[in-house]
Amino acid sequence: MSGGYITGGWAFVWAAYGWTALVLASYGISLFVRLRKSR
Amino acid sequence: MVPNHRFPRFPLALITLGVLCLLTGSYLGLFVAPPEHYMGNVQRIMYVHVPTAWNALLAMTFAFAAAIVSLFKSDLKWDARLEAAIEVGVLLAFLLCCQGAIWAKPTWGVWWDWDPRLTTTAVLLFAFAGILALRRFVDDPVKRATWSAVATIIAYVDVPIVYYSVRWWNSLHQQQSSPATVSSQFYLPLRLNAFGVLFLMSGFIMLRAEIASRRIATELAPPPRDLVGELA
Repeated sequence: MSGGYITGGWAFVWAAYGWTALVLASYGISLFVRLRKSR
Repeated sequence: MVPNHRFPRFPLALITLGVLCLLTGSYLGLFVAPPEHYMGNVQRIMYVHVPTAWNALLAMTFAFAAAIVSLFKSDLKWDARLEAAIEVGVLLAFLLCCQGAIWAKPTWGVWWDWDPRLTTTAVLLFAFAGILALRRFVDDPVKRATWSAVATIIAYVDVPIVYYSVRWWNSLHQQQSSPATVSSQFYLPLRLNAFGVLFLMSGFIMLRAEIASRRIATELAPPPRDLVGELA
């Protein structure tokens, strides 16, 4: 942070987007696997 | 309740549409929208955090509606929908807390603070996760549907508290924005991601409800004849 402004921060942005994508993709895959098993 | 054993295509279409919206919205949010004046690039987390928040509360609201219908109609398909909406709502609430923590560190200097918005959201997450966990301990589908609906209605009280917490109490978390207070450059990626998470959430809830319906149908099915013969 410099003079009240936040500088940089891309690592946090990628962490938020990456973690969101990973969790949503994992859950989506788990749903398809559970659906196939439940037939 | 008769489960449909064909592969559900409509949820798959919703999930595909959701992914397309999210990819486009995230591209615009990450590479096209300008950085915010004070928060710089860190503000780009908003394009995924706010849609997650909206849809987490929406999933809980659907669970609340399913709980009310489940109590008045003795149709276990509403219990399957309730289970699905709670699970997806818990997933989104968990993601919401993670994204919030990642945004809080560079802006507030801490990963977590016992601020009213954060605390009420954590209560929401654990209350609904608790309902999901306790459902596993009840074998009778009818009893499980009844008490799950009652517990969901009680837990839902926290949803308006989460929403209004930033207005009712002094909070580090900023108040809700409106289209009038959001720059038009931020508006499009935010809306695209909001619809992306909405479509994805709807598809997930439909698939999860189908899984729950099939399990409940198995639970309600009479025992196999050979087992009945052994017991006799």
